[in-house]
Amino acid sequence: MMSPCTAPQGLLSILRKLKSSPDQEVRILLLGLDNAGKTTLLKQLASEDVSHITPTQGFNIKSVQSQGFKLNVWDIGGQRKIRPYWRNYFENTDVLIYVIDSADRKRFEETGQELAELLEEEKLSGVPVLVFANKQDLMTAAPAAEIAEGLNLHTIRDRIWQIQACSAVTSEGVQDGMTWVCKNIATRKK
Amino acid sequence: MLGYIWQYFYTSFFRFWLKWILRQVTGKCELQRICSGYKQGAPRTSRAEYSLESSKSKALRSAVSVDEDQVEKCVVAIMQEKNIHSQKDPTFKANLRVCIFQITGYKKLYNSVENLRKEVFDSENKAHEDMLLKLWNLLKPSVKLESRITKQWGDVGFQGDDPKTDFRGMGMLGLTNLVFFSERYTDLSQQVLSHSNHPKLGYSYAIVGINLTEMAYSLLKAGTLKPHFYNGVLGVPHLEHFHQLYCYLAYEFDKFWMEEEPTSIMEFNQYREKFQEKVKKLLEQPDVSLSLRELSDQ
Repeated sequence: MMSPCTAPQGLLSILRKLKSSPDQEVRILLLGLDNAGKTTLLKQLASEDVSHITPTQGFNIKSVQSQGFKLNVWDIGGQRKIRPYWRNYFENTDVLIYVIDSADRKRFEETGQELAELLEEEKLSGVPVLVFANKQDLMTAAPAAEIAEGLNLHTIRDRIWQIQACSAVTSEGVQDGMTWVCKNIATRKK
Repeated sequence: MLGYIWQYFYTSFFRFWLKWILRQVTGKCELQRICSGYKQGAPRTSRAEYSLESSKSKALRSAVSVDEDQVEKCVVAIMQEKNIHSQKDPTFKANLRVCIFQITGYKKLYNSVENLRKEVFDSENKAHEDMLLKLWNLLKPSVKLESRITKQWGDVGFQGDDPKTDFRGMGMLGLTNLVFFSERYTDLSQQVLSHSNHPKLGYSYAIVGINLTEMAYSLLKAGTLKPHFYNGVLGVPHLEHFHQLYCYLAYEFDKFWMEEEPTSIMEFNQYREKFQEKVKKLLEQPDVSLSLRELSDQ
């Protein structure tokens, strides 16, 4: 079936991709309620010390090299007062990472509502969503499956999504989530 | 590159010979020249610190980390080692003593600050809870807190209805700073709080305060605050001096923010950075002392 000339062409396109991929910039938006662990996650991604975190007024941004991409990660404060500003950062988002404090059961409803509203946003339509069920290092943390069910994630049909259990403090599960992110940028950007 | 090479040759050869020549000419060792030739405070203590740290003698090098009750013994040992006589240089002993108190005191201050920072705010701890309620009463003396967990906390700039999750990596250091400012400078802190409720330029008072604690902490940790403490405290600095510095930052940041008129709170980190650069510039001046004390000590 294969004609003799397709092999070198395939090789060429792979080479071309290898050459161009490190320059590919990706915009990642990190959202979630206050105290969900967004900034800790951001610092963990950038391999920085996570022991002096303070609540975020406004936003933080860091660029991280990962799996051939330059990830520009925007960490926006989660306090109720500044949630209205979230929409200013929607444009051109490649992946949305939504962070949940798995031990803060009292606010599962609130965080579910915020996520549902985000998924309705036109500027975020079709954008892949990774939900980090964070703080799994705490005894009281709800398992990821329970959170997925509570948030009705299985009803999401208009985009690819994933839920990943993690602990931003110990970094457990973070890399798995980021691998999913990078895999799904590739398919989207093609 | 040339700078590095020069630095290398200077510290390993030239500095030694330069010191030797100066010693022959003036009849005094480097520490004596520093203690008599430079003004008390950062100009003298910073130089003495460098001199002690880079000394070849163990007695001198260990001086920068002795315990408070060993300082006297340490000064005597240095004078013996360097063959300095009190009759010939009567002020030396007292001057060096102050320098060593300041140098070792700064390190001790960092340890105390670090311990307080590591103390996590705990709702089960009555002392912690009382302190939080005290903060409310100082900031809002005419408003009663309806319950421990309430949206009212938002009025003093906490994020949600329970402040306990807002102290994060700053722990009890953050709360202690906030309470100290309100207790020592009640009117000023209420004035800053009212600015933070400005309809256009508003910000979250408590959260910004905790971020400023982090600023003070990281400046202390990096050693950037040395000139400030060497000039301001002629002895061992204590936690109170650190809290005083926080008050300076809280008051000055508010002033800076209101003058700069940022378009929204989302620009906080850019302005925080800009403000920190400004403070660092001040700290480069040899006679710096960042103080609110003269302004209004109530």
